[in-house]
Amino acid sequence: MAVKDVKTKDQHIENLAKIVGGAQSILYKKEDLLAYDCDGFTIHRHLPKAVVFPKSAEEVAQIVKYCNEHDLPFLARGAGTGLSGGAIPLNGEVIISLTKMKRLLSVDLENRRAVVEPGFINLKLTHSISNKGYYYAPDPSSQYCCTIGGNVAENAGGAHCLKYGVTTNHILGMEVVLPNGEMIEINTNGVLDPPGYDLLGLLTGSEGTLGIVTKITVRILKNPEAKQTVLAYFDKVSDASQAVSDIISAGIVPAALEMMDKTAIEGVEAAAFPVGHPKDIEALLLIEVDGISAGIDEQIHEILEVCRRRNVREVKVAQDEKERERWWANRKTGFGAMGAISPDYLVQDGVIPRSKLPEVLERIKQISEKYGLRIANIFHAGDGNLHPLVLFDARKPGETEKALAAGSECLQVCADVGGSITGEHGVGIEKREEMRFIFTDEEIIAQTNIRDVFNPKNLLNAGKLFPTPGRCVEVKRNEKEKMK
Amino acid sequence: MSVRESDLKQAPACTVTSLGNYLWSDPPDESKWADCVHCGMCLESCPTYEQTGQEQHSPRGRVHLIKSVAEGKLEVNEAFADPVFACLDCRACTTACPADVDVGGLIEEARGQIRQAMPLTGWKGAVSKFFLEGVFPHANRLHLLGSLLKFYQKSGLQKVARKTRLIHIMPEHLVEMEAILPEVKQPVRKKYKHADVIKAKGETKRTVALLTGCVMDVMFSDINEATINVLTRNGNDVVIPQNQTCCGALHVHAGDRETGRKLAKQNIEAFKEAEKVIVNAAGCGCMLKEYPELFREDHEWREKAEQFAAKVEDISKYLHDTGYEKPKAEIKTRITYHDACHLAHGQGIREEPRDILLSIPGVEMVHMPNADRCCGSAGIYNITHSEMAGAVLKSKMEHVPEDVEMISMGNPGCMLQMALGVLKYGRNQKIVHTVQLLDWAYQKEDRLKEGKSWR
Repeated sequence: MAVKDVKTKDQHIENLAKIVGGAQSILYKKEDLLAYDCDGFTIHRHLPKAVVFPKSAEEVAQIVKYCNEHDLPFLARGAGTGLSGGAIPLNGEVIISLTKMKRLLSVDLENRRAVVEPGFINLKLTHSISNKGYYYAPDPSSQYCCTIGGNVAENAGGAHCLKYGVTTNHILGMEVVLPNGEMIEINTNGVLDPPGYDLLGLLTGSEGTLGIVTKITVRILKNPEAKQTVLAYFDKVSDASQAVSDIISAGIVPAALEMMDKTAIEGVEAAAFPVGHPKDIEALLLIEVDGISAGIDEQIHEILEVCRRRNVREVKVAQDEKERERWWANRKTGFGAMGAISPDYLVQDGVIPRSKLPEVLERIKQISEKYGLRIANIFHAGDGNLHPLVLFDARKPGETEKALAAGSECLQVCADVGGSITGEHGVGIEKREEMRFIFTDEEIIAQTNIRDVFNPKNLLNAGKLFPTPGRCVEVKRNEKEKMK
Repeated sequence: MSVRESDLKQAPACTVTSLGNYLWSDPPDESKWADCVHCGMCLESCPTYEQTGQEQHSPRGRVHLIKSVAEGKLEVNEAFADPVFACLDCRACTTACPADVDVGGLIEEARGQIRQAMPLTGWKGAVSKFFLEGVFPHANRLHLLGSLLKFYQKSGLQKVARKTRLIHIMPEHLVEMEAILPEVKQPVRKKYKHADVIKAKGETKRTVALLTGCVMDVMFSDINEATINVLTRNGNDVVIPQNQTCCGALHVHAGDRETGRKLAKQNIEAFKEAEKVIVNAAGCGCMLKEYPELFREDHEWREKAEQFAAKVEDISKYLHDTGYEKPKAEIKTRITYHDACHLAHGQGIREEPRDILLSIPGVEMVHMPNADRCCGSAGIYNITHSEMAGAVLKSKMEHVPEDVEMISMGNPGCMLQMALGVLKYGRNQKIVHTVQLLDWAYQKEDRLKEGKSWR
């Protein structure tokens, strides 16, 4: 395509355009920017200053250097499917979109690793290696379209992370552009457990506040020899929760153990991938076991037994891959499916000890009644990662605020029972204030101090992950620094 | 503003008070975007997002923009028109969407507003007006154009034009198109002009009406012929209502909903007596089924359109559902199947054509990865947005298996585009319509029965 010139009076836009090679690779008109005013978290909307589309790590570094020199706030964005607002330009940032850096750079089957650019789509990695018998394990529900760079930023989880671990357990090395434009490599040769501080662990899940990943070495796994999937319908949530605990206590480690409640089932059944779940059940479990063939049947047998002991109404094993895929499509599109029963939703991401499940669900129900908003629950029951989906209508005055308050209360409940405010979606904008439920001011400062080592000017993705310094401590610290 | 601050006090998103900057009737339908929760599951399904990586060229981005105009945040202008018209209208996002958001419908409604706010001017407007209003709706003019084309092909003029390179006065993509134009034959509407009904071979089980299509009948009248053969062979009397007209899909895609409605009304009237309306062009079939969308503000016609839409059926689904004679003659060939967007995404028809092809003895089907990815034809998109269409076609051709002899599909627009792909990328596949292959198998069977040699 022909390279067009950028016509604007803004010198920064023109200079950035030069770095990325012309008008094709930069957006700066309001109409184009509007599509970037939010990500999968739609409650906050802010226009970026511009969106640039670099094609290489070098271009990323040059853009970052430019922004750093000119004090322009900036942030990185992948597919923009994040659910906590990590890619929303709160401060009129220059968005560095990594969708043009989407190559699979190398696959090393012998050493079971692959190197990808950050814009490479999660599921495409599995598709690219499945014919050789391998796959990439972390499977967020958005894996059809989310990028691995974004997965690293958010330390994304997914249904199968119960057995295989979240993104951080699959990252072997990375190349990073630091907020001053310097490019560094961390363990790019992918050796296991390198000495020194675990920088990979620090960067993974830093929600785009410490650097921009431009190359990622990931672990790939051999396809399990066998796989069986069970669907169980329960008349009582408590029975379903108890079944979850029983399965784990029986010593089975399912690859995935998912639960949906009545409202969630109503949503997925009204949407594009219905399975035909009964409408009058209170909860369903979707359970998958995988591994070597020997022993799978015994595990399934045991799971069926547990479900029956816990008064399951109906329980079945997927008869073929098609049926299994249908069940999973129904589950994995669950969040988007809420659109079919509600104009807006707010998804929360609390973590609780498994044993507290019935109690927490009961308290969420009370919150729902208190605010007069329906709350659907879709969650990774196996690892106690809840996703209460607060359904609301932003067009009704006051309802957005109510939804936010209800969501926050759900997280308070999770924190109260000894859990956490996020399992896999990240803090972003959404849960900044709720960080106080689990961290003291001092603990938060300890963390922002780490951020300041990497991101001293706080130009990179500012205003995310930690509460705003509205409360005394950080303000005091700033004053102290001034006095020095 | 300090970068450590964020303004929580921003007005809540999507506060719709009126339909904002949509000033004409028939604006984009609020209930269509109400289901979009911005999850992004549509992104990877979108060919233009795949090519650009830019979200204003993605389904959720477009929905967001369309909604923003209604919220008064954007105006209907060139910058808004660009992403809205760059959509291929392939509907792949509708398949991908967990909440069934009708992005295609929104796009068409938005185009309607854009064309009223900023009518096409200059030569672009003139060309568009000439074809959309002056040619497609008029069977006789279309046939005349067909005859001219036929003259061009038969008289040696084509050879001269190609040899003298005179043809290169046209833009490159049109030269490419010229090279793959099929040989023009007699339209079936002309051929059966005086026949009230084309009788079934053997006992009549059902009577169906056939939409001959505008371009289909000029460029691909042999496919119409094959469709009639296949229908009559399977116990169907075929009626070709003479006052039928172009389905209007091209007009509606281009934002000319008024002409679309005019044509819809004519077709609804023309097929009033029919119990079944059989279509062999996916794009037309999808349009006919969506006629009720054009009459959202006209209760009387909406009802008529709904009744009409319920009668419309694609040929492959009709044969599949009502049963057809399994051919006995063998056609030994390796083929692959391309899902036309308006068949797979638009009408949910995927397995039926494949079943028909596999019912022919000797046919071996090779799977095409991403078979339901748009080929870039998209009505006249390959003429209006040739650069993007070319990029989409390139990515499509990369998925066509090397070792097949034919690519089968159910839409004439795709057939032209895929033929272009075959030519452009030095491939050698024959492009066929699903019913053509079935018809050949029947014909071969008959000839063998008569003791004649096949071909």
